[in-house]
Amino acid sequence: MSDFMREALAAAAQRAPAWLEPVQARGRNLWGKTTLPNRKTEAWKYTSLQALQQPFSAPAPQARGAAISEASLPQLDGPTLIFTDGQYRQDLSNTAVPSGLSLVRFGDATAEQAAQISAALGTAVLPGRHVFSPLNDATLVDGVFMAVAADTQLEEPVHIAWLTTGQNESTSITQRLLVCMGPNSQATLVESFANTATGGTAFTNGLTELLLDRGAHLSHYRLHLEQGDVVHIGGVHARQGADSQLHGFHLALGSVLKRIDLVVDHQGSGAHCSMDGLYLPRGTETVDYHTCMEHAVPHCTSRERFRGIIADEATAIFNGRIHIHPEAQKTRAELSNKNLLTSNKAEINTKPELEIYADDVQCAHGATVAQLDPLALHYLRTRGVPRDEAEVMLSYGFINELVEEIGQPVIKAFLKPLLAKRFAHDARLARHIL
Amino acid sequence: MSQEHIEHAIRKEYAAGFTTDIESDTLPPGLNSDTIRFISAHKNEPEWLLEWRLEAYRHWLEMAEPEWAHVQYPPVKFDEISYFSSPKAMKDRPQSLDEVDPALIETYNKLGIPLHEQAVLAGVAMDVVFDSVSVTTTFREKLFEAGVIFCSISEAVHDYPELIKKYLGTVVPRKDNFYAALNSAVFSDGSFVYIPKGVRCPMELSTYFRINEANTGQFERTLIVADEGSHVSYLEGCTAPMRDENQLHAAVVELVALDGAEIKYSTVQNWYPGDAEGKGGIYNFVTKRGVAHRDSKISWTQVETGSAITWKYPSCILRGDNSVGEFYSVALTNNAQQADTGTKMIHLGKNTRSTIISKGISAGHSSNAYRGLVRMSPRAEGARNYTQCDSLLIGDRCAAHTFPYIESRNPSAVIEHEATTSKVSDDQLYLCQQRGLNAEKAVSMIVNGFCKEVFRELPMEFAMEAGKLLEVSLEGSVG
Amino acid sequence: MLKIDNLHAKVDDKDILKGLNLTVAAGEVHAIMGPNGSGKSTLGHVLAGRPGYTVTAGSARLLGQDLLELDTEHRAHLGLFLAYQYPVEIPGVSNMEFLKASVDAVREHRGDPALDSMSFMKKAREACKAVDLDLAFLKRGVNEGFSGGEKKRNELMQMMLLEPKLCIMDETDSGLDIDALQVVASGINAMRSPDRSIILVTHYQRLLTFIEPDHVHVLSGGRIVKSGDKSLALELEERGYAWLEDVA
Repeated sequence: MSDFMREALAAAAQRAPAWLEPVQARGRNLWGKTTLPNRKTEAWKYTSLQALQQPFSAPAPQARGAAISEASLPQLDGPTLIFTDGQYRQDLSNTAVPSGLSLVRFGDATAEQAAQISAALGTAVLPGRHVFSPLNDATLVDGVFMAVAADTQLEEPVHIAWLTTGQNESTSITQRLLVCMGPNSQATLVESFANTATGGTAFTNGLTELLLDRGAHLSHYRLHLEQGDVVHIGGVHARQGADSQLHGFHLALGSVLKRIDLVVDHQGSGAHCSMDGLYLPRGTETVDYHTCMEHAVPHCTSRERFRGIIADEATAIFNGRIHIHPEAQKTRAELSNKNLLTSNKAEINTKPELEIYADDVQCAHGATVAQLDPLALHYLRTRGVPRDEAEVMLSYGFINELVEEIGQPVIKAFLKPLLAKRFAHDARLARHIL
Repeated sequence: MSQEHIEHAIRKEYAAGFTTDIESDTLPPGLNSDTIRFISAHKNEPEWLLEWRLEAYRHWLEMAEPEWAHVQYPPVKFDEISYFSSPKAMKDRPQSLDEVDPALIETYNKLGIPLHEQAVLAGVAMDVVFDSVSVTTTFREKLFEAGVIFCSISEAVHDYPELIKKYLGTVVPRKDNFYAALNSAVFSDGSFVYIPKGVRCPMELSTYFRINEANTGQFERTLIVADEGSHVSYLEGCTAPMRDENQLHAAVVELVALDGAEIKYSTVQNWYPGDAEGKGGIYNFVTKRGVAHRDSKISWTQVETGSAITWKYPSCILRGDNSVGEFYSVALTNNAQQADTGTKMIHLGKNTRSTIISKGISAGHSSNAYRGLVRMSPRAEGARNYTQCDSLLIGDRCAAHTFPYIESRNPSAVIEHEATTSKVSDDQLYLCQQRGLNAEKAVSMIVNGFCKEVFRELPMEFAMEAGKLLEVSLEGSVG
Repeated sequence: MLKIDNLHAKVDDKDILKGLNLTVAAGEVHAIMGPNGSGKSTLGHVLAGRPGYTVTAGSARLLGQDLLELDTEHRAHLGLFLAYQYPVEIPGVSNMEFLKASVDAVREHRGDPALDSMSFMKKAREACKAVDLDLAFLKRGVNEGFSGGEKKRNELMQMMLLEPKLCIMDETDSGLDIDALQVVASGINAMRSPDRSIILVTHYQRLLTFIEPDHVHVLSGGRIVKSGDKSLALELEERGYAWLEDVA
């Protein structure tokens, strides 16, 4: 195993609470036996880990990030935990929680909560499915535990934000979130990741586990707003109980490298998962989304819609796997992936996959790659809209269908201008996007 | 449909499964450079070809068997295979059909492939490859008049060395993959076709391949060169006797369509698939590829019903501007068969076009995977691809997979890919049965309907044959 | 207003317009009729500058300016409006933002002050009402999922908001039932004014019973082969186009 994390591993071993030590030890052991994937590894065929060639070290415990700009994160009213450079920021967080919700950092967990965490942690990550999860375990010092009690309906979204300020060079950050949704509970969870403009190189190893008990509903937003020299290798692994619903919205602006694995394991009959995603790399950035729907039981449904706009010399990778196990009769699963290339040097590699072992199922996937529709562009111009503005409107329009359907008004209001500006070198060109 | 009907339909016997009692010269099993020298000497080959083979063999020794395909089988024991078998009477090649061993002619009659020219389907010229060697080529004179060369590749090595030297291995290089390297080292025979400039080949060309000997592998090599502005339609058919051991078939097919040429290559593959428990059957590990130059067109149509394991991706390198590639495929797996098949469309030239229509049908406890690659290179301005992959599942123990790789590096290229999966629904069956059809007939009708976009690409005579073949292969799959 | 001189144009290497001459004065309504494939729709697209439509000879001037050397959007700024026969669907771009972007661009070019949101909305509402379109259409994607008639009315609404100098209505009547036809016709009539010209491209005389043209032209084989007053339309209705091919 490459030793780019040697220092970070050593630092983590000294700082974890005692009850996390077995998790760390297990992780260290597995990570020691792990070979870093290369281009010959099927799941990493198009994605180079070159960016991990340099050594990364754990952030200094006393580090305090610069003040964060209000605009860099959605401003939500509910409970909010903010971390800068991997350090929890009490001063920026809002820890008032309604009844039925537990929201604690691993470091603050009571003995009872620690036991709960120990029992559940890692159970949503199917063995061998996340090559970086042992590293996450091994470097885990402070994660977040969110538990929603049975039949509780949370009004306000829970927001957990991770910021990198780049005050330290080559920082490695381990993000971990464990969510346990009790039977028939309902909640909205927003995870956002951002960096300040001055950011140096950072490597975030993110891992979120969502455990949805029977009848639970979770709306989950995971917004990757990091840009520049940030490497994020992350994963969301969900396990859905009977009749549960998971609605995911994923966004990745580009950075040096983002690789996000989204794995949903349908374990209970009647579960439904919808997942929308946008990826917008530009410059020489790389974004790689790997999704996997594991349909292990009958009568479940899933729907995925991912759209990407790839500009400049950027690269995007999308891999959407739908796996129907022999028992999963009456499954309905669909996936659509649409891509726009806006430059001669941009690159997209997409692979929607179906692996089906049951006959009474309806599965479909589709993928397209194209440029802006020349007819639509002309139509806008015949109405007097200048070409560059028409291009911005159409690019935004390409992703707007998914943005419009965002259920959280604050998130929608936060994302619309941010995304509109993304396509306009001049803000004026985005002025008509409402 | 009832399980019972399905079972019955699946359990249909393999009709081409007889063996023929013919004395043959078969090389003892095993592969080393002497084996290759023997094959080359036996065929009286020039020195350069022997060197070419040995070079391929050296590469092969250093290569690993591909493991990425979605198929499982015990390791092939390459030293237990005999790499050359020839019917004894063929030593002195027959000068005419009258000299062909009557037992051999009988074999082909049983297969429904009459060798006598008067009996051959009107307008189809045929080359027949029995185990390792080409036994007869029909209609040669008539083709010769048109300037078309159609002969075994062994003959071509002697008669047209310049053409062979110029094109052999240019589409599928020796190092291309494990099986192509093996084939390059030990290929025994196969067909060679050359269509001169501007010539429209006056008849369908066809090759039938049959493996007869036990423990032999078949490694044929086909090379088709269509010179500028020419046109040819070529069909291959394959069968093998029922044997308990697995037999290896590792062929290489190379197509060269020069500017403005058109090659249509159709395959009806019915190698022995093994028995209902998965014992025996052919391992069909084949490399097929064509290079399309400016304004040319290469069209692959395949109906795959046989083989225990199929590993096959007929591909098009669309090198010239405005060239067109097509892939129409029906792959049916039943019982314990496994197929991993599809295509690659590599768009290099401007305004290149490709269409992929793949129909996979899985029955029994078989596994059927489509694997495809569509690649738009930075230079492929205005290129387009349309892909449609449909899977039909019959019964709840089979598997159907789709693995499409889509890579684009040109913003003006347009790619559309769609895949669906469905089963033969009870409603459809009920409707057919209401109209007086039995379940088996109903399934075969539904399957035929599912495949019609592909069947209509086949030459007329073979479209009928393909439909029948599906019906036979599906027997017992309905209940 | 518009002066077209000996216009030749190709679509995909096929010659469609072969020496078309047409002069339209301010305030006039011209109807261009002709058999299918005569080049009626091509004329509008050539004037609007659609990609793939190449002018090979001749000239077209709008308000004295050479139209053919301008970009598509600048032709619109100058006052050209083409109502499409088949309006383009643009999912993801709302009708509202599309209209606002158009109106702002055209007004800016004319030197008119930009409309604030309130005044724009007021105008948009009025235009919707005039063409009998529900306000909900403003929020939907441009033409996305609109019926044929709704698309045509949406075109008319855009025209009302943009207040062009020259309107080319490409088979605006096709696919409309009689009620919708009346709505569209009265919309067009309302747009008639001394400083605005209208070209109605149509296959049938039907539209002309609602909108009375000043001149009627027959386009055949890429040229105008006959011109006359509104009675020509009636004659065409009776006799068809075949007799004119001899004239050509």
